[in-house]
Amino acid sequence: MNENLFASFITPMILGLPLVTLIVLFPSLLFPTSNRLVNNRFVTLQQWMLQLVSKQMMSIHNPKGQTWTLMLMSLILFIGSTNLLGLLPHSFTPTTQLSMNLGMAIPLWAGAVITGFRNKTKTSLAHFLPQGTPTPLIPMLVIIETISLFIQPMALAVRLTANITAGHLLIHLIGGATLALMSISATTALITFIILILLTILEFAVAMIQAYVFTLLVSLYLHDNT
Amino acid sequence: MLSRVVLSAAAAAAPSLKNAALLGPGVLQATRIFHTGQPSLAPVPPLPEHGGKVRFGLIPEEFFQFLYPKTGVTASCELQRKILKGPYVLGTGLILYLLSKEIYVITPETFSAISTIGFLVYIVKKYGASVGEFADKLNEQKIAQLEEVKQASIKQIQDAIDMEKSQQALVQKRHYLFDVQRNNIAMALEVTYRERLHRVYREVKNRLDYHISVQNMMRQKEQEHMINWVEKRVVQSISAQQEKETIAKCIADLKLLAKKAQAQPELGRQ
Repeated sequence: MNENLFASFITPMILGLPLVTLIVLFPSLLFPTSNRLVNNRFVTLQQWMLQLVSKQMMSIHNPKGQTWTLMLMSLILFIGSTNLLGLLPHSFTPTTQLSMNLGMAIPLWAGAVITGFRNKTKTSLAHFLPQGTPTPLIPMLVIIETISLFIQPMALAVRLTANITAGHLLIHLIGGATLALMSISATTALITFIILILLTILEFAVAMIQAYVFTLLVSLYLHDNT
Repeated sequence: MLSRVVLSAAAAAAPSLKNAALLGPGVLQATRIFHTGQPSLAPVPPLPEHGGKVRFGLIPEEFFQFLYPKTGVTASCELQRKILKGPYVLGTGLILYLLSKEIYVITPETFSAISTIGFLVYIVKKYGASVGEFADKLNEQKIAQLEEVKQASIKQIQDAIDMEKSQQALVQKRHYLFDVQRNNIAMALEVTYRERLHRVYREVKNRLDYHISVQNMMRQKEQEHMINWVEKRVVQSISAQQEKETIAKCIADLKLLAKKAQAQPELGRQ
C-alpha cells in the first residue's frame, strides 16, 4: 500500500479526479447546525465548546477586532478537525501541505496588517520600533523588526506544516520499527509499541494545540492592528 | 424548462398563439405550488430519545437481524437461542481472508491504527458517560433558566391577581367610609345650626340688655338730679339767720357732749 515514507503525503487523486477537495470539505459535515433550543448531545457539546473558545479568544479585542470572530472560530475548527481526522489510519491531512497552510496564513496575516496600516497608520508604524531603544541601535532595529514582520506568515504556515508532518512521520517510522522488531524480539516490539501509544497521545494533543496556536497568533496580529 | 420548449413550439406552429407564449412561463410559474400554508417550523418534531443500537460502535443491530433468517443461530439451549452468531462468523472469516490473501497488508500504518483506535476506544469507554451527562446537564440548565423566567412571570401575574382581589374586597367595604362621612357632615351641619341659634340669642340679649341698661341709667340720673334739686332747694331755703342759730345750737350741744364724754371715762376708770 505505502511504497515509501512519504506516500501518505501525496495529494489523493482518484482516477485523475482530485479527491482532496472532498477531503478538505469533509470536516464541515461533522459540525451540524441546528435551529433547536435543546439539541442532541453532539450538537450541544459542539456549541458549548465553541462558545467557550470564542469567549476566551475574542474577549481581548475591541469591537472592531471582534468582527473577525467568525473567521477565527472557523479557522480553529477547521485546523483542529483536519488535524484530528488525519490521525486516523490511512487518512490524508490537508494541513500537511505547505501550499494549503500558506494559503491560510498569508491572507489572514496580510488582512490584519493592512487593516492596521489603513486605520491606525501611526500605531502600526510605531510597532517597528520597540520602546526604550538606545538611539544608535534604531536603524538596525527597524530593519530587524521589518524582517520579523514579514516572516510572520511564513512562520505561521511552516510551523503548522512542520509540526503535523513531523508527527505523522514519527508515527509511521515507529510503527515501522515495531513491525520490523516483531520478528526479531517481541519484548522490544512491545516497548516500541508503548512508545507508539505515547506518541499517539502526544499527536492528539499537538493536533489541537497547533490549531489553537495558529488562531491565537492571528488574533494577536489582529489585536496589534485594531 | 421543457414546458418553455413546448410553448415555443406551439408558438411556431400557430403564430396567433405567440402573444400567449409570452405569458406562458409566467402562467406556468404561477401555477407551480409555492409556500402554500404556513411554514411548519413549529412545533418542531421531537428528537428520538436514543440513537439506534449498534454493536462494536459501527455495525447496526439491524444487520444482525437481517442475517438471522440466512444464518440462523448456533444455540444448544433455549437461553442461547437469542445469540445470533452468524455475523460474527462472517466477520471473522472476512478478516482472516483479507489478512491471509494480503489484500490488507500489515504495514507500519497498521500499528499506528491499532494504537490510535485503541486510544480512542479507551477514551470513549472511560469518559463517554460523564461527557454525555455533562451535555445533558447543559441542556437542563438552559431549560431551567427559561422555566425560571416563566415561573417568575406566572408568580408576578398571580401576585397581581391577588392584589386585585384584595382591592375588590376593600371596595366592597367602601360604604362604611361613606356612612361615616355622611354622619360627620350631618353633625357638622347640626353644630353650625346650633351655633347660629346661639348667636341669634346672644345678639337679641345684647340689644335687650342695652335697653335695660339705658333705662336704669335714665332712672339713676333722674334720681340723682332730683336729689340734687331737693338738696339745692333745701340749702337755699335755709336763711342766714337760721344758719347762725343752728350753728350756735350745735356748738352748745357739742360742749355738753364733751362734758359728758369727759365725765364718762372717769366713771369708767373707776
